[in-house]
Amino acid sequence: MRRLLARLARIVGIVFLSGIACAMLARYAPGSMVDERELNPKAGEDSIAALRAEKQISFPAELAHYLRGDLGYSESNHASVGALIRDRAPVTLRELALGLAGGWLAGFVFAIPASRSARASVYDAISAAGSGLLMSLPAALLAYLSVLAGAPSVIVLIAVIAPKIFEFSKNLLRDAYRAAHIDTARARGIGEFRIFLAYALPSVAPQIAGLAAASVSLAIGAAIPIEAICEVPGLGRLAWQAAMARDLPLLVNLTMLVALATTCAAMLTETEKA
Amino acid sequence: MRRFAIALLASLAVCGITADLWTRRSYETQFRDFPDARPSAQFPLGTDALGRDRLTRLVYGTRVSLSLAPAAAGFSCVLAALLGGTAGWAGGFAESAIMASADLFLSVPWMFLLLMVRAWLPLNVSPEVSVGITFALLGALGWAAPARVVRAAVKKLRASDFMLLAEAHGATRWRLLRRHLIPNVTPILLAQFWIAVPAFILAETTLGMLGLGISEPLPSWGGLLREIEGGDALSNWWLLAPAVVLAAVTASLQLLRPKKELAS
Repeated sequence: MRRLLARLARIVGIVFLSGIACAMLARYAPGSMVDERELNPKAGEDSIAALRAEKQISFPAELAHYLRGDLGYSESNHASVGALIRDRAPVTLRELALGLAGGWLAGFVFAIPASRSARASVYDAISAAGSGLLMSLPAALLAYLSVLAGAPSVIVLIAVIAPKIFEFSKNLLRDAYRAAHIDTARARGIGEFRIFLAYALPSVAPQIAGLAAASVSLAIGAAIPIEAICEVPGLGRLAWQAAMARDLPLLVNLTMLVALATTCAAMLTETEKA
Repeated sequence: MRRFAIALLASLAVCGITADLWTRRSYETQFRDFPDARPSAQFPLGTDALGRDRLTRLVYGTRVSLSLAPAAAGFSCVLAALLGGTAGWAGGFAESAIMASADLFLSVPWMFLLLMVRAWLPLNVSPEVSVGITFALLGALGWAAPARVVRAAVKKLRASDFMLLAEAHGATRWRLLRRHLIPNVTPILLAQFWIAVPAFILAETTLGMLGLGISEPLPSWGGLLREIEGGDALSNWWLLAPAVVLAAVTASLQLLRPKKELAS
């Protein structure tokens, strides 16, 4: 219980600090907090002072708003941040869920035959070349190609995640299949499917679980260029638009949300491994 | 395969570095009579919308990526060595503070962090400054993961028998660092370097494709690949030439990674 509380406190701390860091970065970035209307030659000193006062940020006041559940207002989208996140989150969550499920399934399924053969085979060469090629291309380029081919954006997310899962699982399973107890099982005539389920898979499960958090982080990172290029109305596209428009309230909230998702995934993985 | 990868990287690097010597034109020269030209003897990869030779731009873009991504990876590894090494060596508060910072950096996906920080830095700067900003940012934001690896290695080495023995023999801290720690941490750092270089190349390309990379008219792979957005790359195959070079370079770099790292 104490350990769980300590982990929860760590998550809260990291999320809070990431929000503060993002706000500080935005506040002190060159050209930040300057309103375009200040450049209007007709604007008087009073108007400019009023515009600057409007742009000023009071961190304690912002924090008080947060504690009341008010996430702020996005000027670039002319909507409240809470409403924007509520609208876009289901799209991204669906994309991430499908992408992660597809990526894990494809990576793992392709890794099993590649790991079982001790000698280099044609399948091994083809699968390694395929995963190597996908890992050599940025997510943004894969997204462009998917738009050209008319393929759904989830395919791109799968193409980003699957090669990593494939490489990692293949190496782990290959080591597992080299174990003496698997040779003994084979000598006793136990079927390959049973060997995989009863011997190989349990021995690599903790390491594979360790990759879960990394794959979530990878998927969230890849979702931004994919959603931006494929014009998917999700949180990734919203984050890109917020970054381009320097929309501070939106960026701070999205950063905290992303940090929360990543640290929670990491904590779940750690708990599962423990 | 590793030999082929080395040969390919070396020839591309030589092509890029000596571009001024053998390319007949500058990457920014506009042939206004030939905008959007198809491949020909004069322009082997055609020209872009402004009439600039694509092959020349690809060669100069290769130079930018192939020279600056290793520099950024080197910077990132130096930061990782300093911070991770300090954390592992000093322990206590320094270790907690450095590792908390690393956790903070790792709590946000790298690409998200990179996009966010790059967007907050000035975009309307000269091409040379934009190159500096992009690659300095890659180096500065990429230290956290290698620092964790370095810290774990230093902690392990610090508790190893040979270090204890050297300490018992009266070796000074400086000697322990110079003779025992640094030589044993260097291969780990080199492995991290080889992991970082292709990652940084891909990250710069993604930034460029999203309009946050190196400013025009200086070419970069990301900037060149943005042309796919406007054109039909499936019928105009030559638009994909930067993608082919990019894939060849990153695949070669991945082949050159230490095998042990691939397994982990």
